Amino acid sequence: MSEPPQPVRDPLMKPLFEPRPRGDGAYEEMWDERGEMRAHWRDFADIMRALGPEEISRRNDSVARRLREAGVYFRSYDRNQEQPWPLSAVPVLIDADEWRAIEAGLVQRANLIEATLADIYGAQNLVRDGALPASLIAGSPDFLRPMVGARPRGGRFLHVYAADLGRGPDGRWWVLRDRTQAPSGAGYALGNRIALSRTLPETMRDLGVARLADFFRNWREALQTHASADSAGVALMTPGAYNDTYYEHAYLARYLGFLLVEGEDLVVRDRDVFLRTISGLKKIDVLLRRLDADFVDPLEFNFQSRLGAPGLADATRAGKLTFANALGSGLAESRALMAFWPMLAQRLLGEDLALPNIATWWCGDEAARAHVLSNLDALTLAPAFAGGDNVPAPRSDLVRRLAARGLDYVGQENITLSATPVWDGDSFVSRPFQMRVFLAATEDGWRAMPGGLCSIAPESDPRAMSLQRGGMAADLWVLGGDEPGAVFTLLPGAQDVRRANDMLTTRVADNLYWLGRYLERADVTLRLVRATAVRANERDSDVAQIARRMADLMRFWGVAPLDGPREPARIAAFALRDLESHGAPAMLLRRALDAGSAARERLSPDAWLTLNQLARLARPDLERGDDLDRVDRALNRLAAFNGYAQENMARGPGWAAFEIGRRIERGLAITRIVRALALPETTPASLDALVEMADSHGAHAQRYFVAHSLAAAADLLIFDEGNPRACAYQARRLRELADYLPAQTAPDGASRLRNAIVLFDAAIAAGDPRQVDAAFFASIDTALLRVADAFSSTYLSDLG
Amino acid sequence: MTDDHVRYRVRLVSAAHYENPVPVARHILRVRPRDDARQSVSAYALEIEPAPARVIETRDFFGNAVTSFTLDAPHDHFVFRAESDVALTIAASPDATPAWDEVRAQANAHAALDPDAPAHYLYASRIVALDDDITAYAAASFAPGAPIFESARDLAQRIHREFVFDAQATEVTSSPRAAFDARQGVCQDFAHIMIGGLRGLGLPARYASGFLRTLPPPGAAALEGADAMHAWIEIWCGAHAGWIGLDPTNDMPAGSDHILVAVGRDYADVAPETGVIVTQGKHRLEIAVDVRALTEAPN
Repeated sequence: MSEPPQPVRDPLMKPLFEPRPRGDGAYEEMWDERGEMRAHWRDFADIMRALGPEEISRRNDSVARRLREAGVYFRSYDRNQEQPWPLSAVPVLIDADEWRAIEAGLVQRANLIEATLADIYGAQNLVRDGALPASLIAGSPDFLRPMVGARPRGGRFLHVYAADLGRGPDGRWWVLRDRTQAPSGAGYALGNRIALSRTLPETMRDLGVARLADFFRNWREALQTHASADSAGVALMTPGAYNDTYYEHAYLARYLGFLLVEGEDLVVRDRDVFLRTISGLKKIDVLLRRLDADFVDPLEFNFQSRLGAPGLADATRAGKLTFANALGSGLAESRALMAFWPMLAQRLLGEDLALPNIATWWCGDEAARAHVLSNLDALTLAPAFAGGDNVPAPRSDLVRRLAARGLDYVGQENITLSATPVWDGDSFVSRPFQMRVFLAATEDGWRAMPGGLCSIAPESDPRAMSLQRGGMAADLWVLGGDEPGAVFTLLPGAQDVRRANDMLTTRVADNLYWLGRYLERADVTLRLVRATAVRANERDSDVAQIARRMADLMRFWGVAPLDGPREPARIAAFALRDLESHGAPAMLLRRALDAGSAARERLSPDAWLTLNQLARLARPDLERGDDLDRVDRALNRLAAFNGYAQENMARGPGWAAFEIGRRIERGLAITRIVRALALPETTPASLDALVEMADSHGAHAQRYFVAHSLAAAADLLIFDEGNPRACAYQARRLRELADYLPAQTAPDGASRLRNAIVLFDAAIAAGDPRQVDAAFFASIDTALLRVADAFSSTYLSDLG
Repeated sequence: MTDDHVRYRVRLVSAAHYENPVPVARHILRVRPRDDARQSVSAYALEIEPAPARVIETRDFFGNAVTSFTLDAPHDHFVFRAESDVALTIAASPDATPAWDEVRAQANAHAALDPDAPAHYLYASRIVALDDDITAYAAASFAPGAPIFESARDLAQRIHREFVFDAQATEVTSSPRAAFDARQGVCQDFAHIMIGGLRGLGLPARYASGFLRTLPPPGAAALEGADAMHAWIEIWCGAHAGWIGLDPTNDMPAGSDHILVAVGRDYADVAPETGVIVTQGKHRLEIAVDVRALTEAPN
């Protein structure tokens, strides 16, 4: 056997760092014009040299692993599934002095945008005086007419502002885009920082990287000051699990200790806004909005929206609700406004713009249009307002098009973006990048997060910054500040933890309950499939009969069509391959994943990962391997999920809803299985199957070895409070779980659930292991369904 | 009432029946005729069934009357009846209007954002996308330097001539492009197509929703669209002439037969009823309109 070839590395051949002047004249973040390494990169480079290429590669790989473990994903539109977050292990470094200038420029810009929005939705002097063209405002889909004349509650439009910045060849930073609607990325920046803090801990410490926690704390506190004392606190409003940045919404909500809510959680009564919770309606008056304003209220904005809640616009006008950012703030994202910011800065602030934005010409203006038409090669043509991409120019009819509808377009200067190092496997190479910087309005004015989210273009396409198009993210480190800031954690105060845990929306409770039910149903179905498959080809007629009873039970459960084939072998095989039947494991686990997505901020990253693995394991088209092997792996993952739920979910109403779902489903399943296998007559084969289904070989063998009888099996599976698979055990657990739920929604509400549990308990106690019959099984089945009904109508009722 | 007025009594009845009871619903109605220089409402009554606890009357950004309310008890039907007495001034035909390309420049430069300002009506809107083919269709009516109103009338005439009116042709939600391709539709489609064509040329055009007299004056033909709410367009003809109504469905200026209820960028801004109901199952909706002349216009 020969040794595998070892990678040979000639230290003289290729240095780790090498200035490579680019032909396009781009500014190099790491190198100056003379090919010297810039001062603020030197310590970092020394640390990298000390690590050496093998170690750098190892750390690079571990970044990817950390992110996966931390549950950082983004949703790709193309494949409509979550993709691992592509993070460069190399941060972009910025010197503190330069950072201060950027921060000052963006603070000025945030103030300027605030003043402009206040005028446009208020006095409209800018338009009346001719400073801003009316058609430039009216053309923006984000100019929300129903909000004209309404002062935002709390007085401000912007609570959070982000800007995309790029550095030109002369070293100056330029604002490329303003983000005022519902800026995304702060949560990803945080996720990046946490991943790098574990991958390059010594580097971060030695370089004195500014910490982010203060920023988030200040932001959280600033938003909380807008919440009235009798309200449910601040909530983060998300469009839901199908949004491309939903991961971030859940992550930020968890980190900031805010509730994550969707439109259906909100209800407007008169002009007050309430949250539907398991304790009834709770007033809410601050929403950190990650939903575009147009979708917020189907009555006044987009009538097709199902993501908002009717009446929110009216409540906002009435001063009952603070949106961060205010409805209508997205107007400031118009590219066309970039042509006017320098003038507006003078007019509204009496200052020059400290940080320029890229030169822009709005083609609604005749002179600007002429300029754009005669400089088409040097400019990029883009939509005048927010959204959309650059306009691919069919040059032929551009003149005619711009003459008729110039107002739809801007021409923007092209900038050759600066380049920053990334690790390509054996050395550092330069790639163009831009960065998004975040500011929050706090009680002490605007504060910038000392960091940000960098987007690095792929080698293939230097202008494609989006992750959707193969780009990569990077962390931004601000170096050499006076004070790195508080240690990097944001442990919420005890009060916040309490608040976040106790407040549970009806929607999330519903999803956690069904998560519990679907997972448990999947568990028992998989056991049934396995037990059927191993018996399907048995010659022993008793055993074959048991297999038939199991197969029939599965058909009744919708695992396979009721009017289809009945042979056990075919049913078992069908169950593991079918994706559409409502009771098939693949469908149950898909529904579990859907329910889990909607309650994602309640699940630990490990639990979430496990749920995703489960959904895949049930899919023969996605997961290789023998069918029964998939069953074993899925059962193993189900056990892991339940372990995470026990160990990582705080004991509160959310956990109780999940557990109640599991307990109800388990009780129903075991009752029905015992009935199906034990009646009309019991054989050794059916007892054996019962014990196998109950996963109780050990307990049974120890306690009932001699008494291999229906009475013994029934005692074990129905009456034994000590057996976690037995009905009586579910009753005991349900009694305990009811204590975690709020006392009542209606005065008699909670007693309904408790009464139902007591009756379920009584139904079991009324039985005798030696005389179990169909009527007895029916009585516990009914009693358990009443528990389910009492829980739903008490805590999940639609009207709240 | 002087001689240059026509008086109407307008009745609108809308009835929705739900297969399953609706637990809660929030509605907005825009059914009250506008009060403006051209028409005045002397009586107006609205009945809602089931009766809401509280009814709020406001105006939207465009100056249309808006009635909003919540029905928060389970209900299997929702009916409203609106009855208005309206007097219309018979408008004189517009004077000579400026050249359309001049109006385009004026609209662009008009420094106002009030509800009647042309700026709001220059762009694509929720239902009216700008479409090269529809713009090209409209362009054939707009010779360089031609007066805007005459050109727009020509466009309305062509739509009337070349499109088939078919009440069954489209749903409320169908796209103007689909109606354009099929060369058939209802008044709403013709209005959207015409608006899209005008805006494609850079001209301000808006959607007008209202009623049309049911029975023609003696000796005249019945008009299309009189048994439901009707739709036509208004085009901005410069700061002096302002907004002028044109009905492409009937190839006529919106005059003494057109009772205006609401204006907006397209149907989405003026829908007579917008509601959010939480329900499963189907629902059935019936609308009836009756517009009776109380006096006849002098000949």
